[in-house]
Amino acid sequence: MGSHFLPAQVKKMDTLVFQPMFGDSTLVLSTYSYKLNDKDSIQFDVLKFYISGIEFLNKGKPVWKEENSFHLIDASQEKTMSVILKRSSSIICDQIKFNIGIDSTINVSGAMGGDLDPTKGMYWTWQSGYINFKLEGISNVCKSKNQEFQYHVGGYESPFNAFQTVTLDCKRSNKIEIDIKELLSGIDLSKQDHIMSPSAEAVVLAQKISKTFSVQAQ
Amino acid sequence: MKNKISIFILIPVLLSAFMQMKMRLFETPANWPKPQYDFSKNPLTEEKIELGRALFYDPILSKNNTISCASCHSQYTAFTHVDHALSHGIEDRIGTRNSPALMNLAWQKIFMWDGAINHLDVQALGPISNHLEMDEKIENVVAKLQSSKIYPQLFLEAFGDSVITGQHTLKAISQFMLTLVSKDSKYDSVMRKQAAFSSQETNGYKLFQKNCGNCHKEPLFTNGEFENNGLTVDTLLNDYGRVSISKDPNDSLKFKVPTLRNVEFSMPYMHDGRFKKLKQVLDHYTDGVQTSKTLSPHLQQQIKLTSNEKVDLIAFMLTLTDKKFLFDQNYSYPKHILLSSRKK
Repeated sequence: MGSHFLPAQVKKMDTLVFQPMFGDSTLVLSTYSYKLNDKDSIQFDVLKFYISGIEFLNKGKPVWKEENSFHLIDASQEKTMSVILKRSSSIICDQIKFNIGIDSTINVSGAMGGDLDPTKGMYWTWQSGYINFKLEGISNVCKSKNQEFQYHVGGYESPFNAFQTVTLDCKRSNKIEIDIKELLSGIDLSKQDHIMSPSAEAVVLAQKISKTFSVQAQ
Repeated sequence: MKNKISIFILIPVLLSAFMQMKMRLFETPANWPKPQYDFSKNPLTEEKIELGRALFYDPILSKNNTISCASCHSQYTAFTHVDHALSHGIEDRIGTRNSPALMNLAWQKIFMWDGAINHLDVQALGPISNHLEMDEKIENVVAKLQSSKIYPQLFLEAFGDSVITGQHTLKAISQFMLTLVSKDSKYDSVMRKQAAFSSQETNGYKLFQKNCGNCHKEPLFTNGEFENNGLTVDTLLNDYGRVSISKDPNDSLKFKVPTLRNVEFSMPYMHDGRFKKLKQVLDHYTDGVQTSKTLSPHLQQQIKLTSNEKVDLIAFMLTLTDKKFLFDQNYSYPKHILLSSRKK
């Protein structure tokens, strides 16, 4: 009981893990098929997204902020799912804050390097701008060619700004889950099998994406 | 003691020599606006410019190694694709627009006829990946460059790193494009009071300032804006320009105002290259402008020009030809890089 009221002190929390899930299962790309319901199934080929501007808060005030905070999380490369934070000592915090995607300043600043390099497949070539979130796969529900679906969510300019900020309670855990099953429960795959450019639909999807992140209590 | 003194003398001498070298890489001509490009994020060096020049002329950027930037942007035509209304790319696929002339790009804030590209550094990604142009992925370009005989060394010299990245590739191409400055036309000499217009050119200049100068604003001869200049829609292309990017109906039929510098050599004209001659362009502005909701405010009143006035106006437009730019050896095919070591 008493421990319940202690501040959520995170000791040596120098790694954040972003774990894609499908409901209660860990999401695995390509080889694995998941059930949407009794008769429909789905398989994922690509899941990549940017996490930027990682910050820790205590009682609403920032206590630590990562410099040059841009991370491409790629479900096909497990090491990208662990983000190592360069913090020397433990800090007291009760919330973590981060962005899904890349802010407008970076979007208009030309060719970037590292995780932001255009060779990472997360930059639109025909119209400048980063893809904040990419999800691709196949499902028998889709009416498209080869039953494919492709969501490339991005856009940095009003009214189609898809950049999202998420604030979560820390819960003494360094594991952040993103539940794709929950995301898909808000999408009709038979009607909307692709989003490929900045648009009102992309903004709606970006908002849904931001709600599927949660800190998993250990 | 003596050594110390000579060092004190030497440092300012070296510094000023260094500054002069830097100056020569890029200069803003007197009375021109400040460039849009932020050079502090990509400071010019001779090595990077030369690397960018090699990349600009190397078909390695295309899927089957046949098309280079220069294929559609050749120097002698002010870096555009002469003879083709719509520029063609890989395997003779025909594009949907007339390739723009390339010059004074440091002053340009947004790229492509519809402004799809927001920064010079990422401009090259458009044609590289366009199915009708080079049909290649930047990832593959980087892999091809990395395994080539010449590029790892050139990147090492330019960036201090032989590991090639998309960022370095694009920044090098930007560096070369930034050096494409056209500032030595007869018009420029007249402005610098080193030459004088003929009476015909003088009259043409007056007509230009009255009728054309709002959009084709001096000294860059573009206001950098998107305007609907009253062209009829080509029903095969159905190209509505800026609106396809901004999704704002007020941008329907608007295209970026092109510079008129070197216009003598950058035919054909308009986004779809529908006019081959300057006379046709002027005829459009006097008699062909289609009224619509988004028509440029500068064209609301009909432009009236007699046929003699059109001749004078064209005489002025020819003073925008910059032979020094069109034939500058620093901009030409870099034989010393692409031919010497490549075939070995």
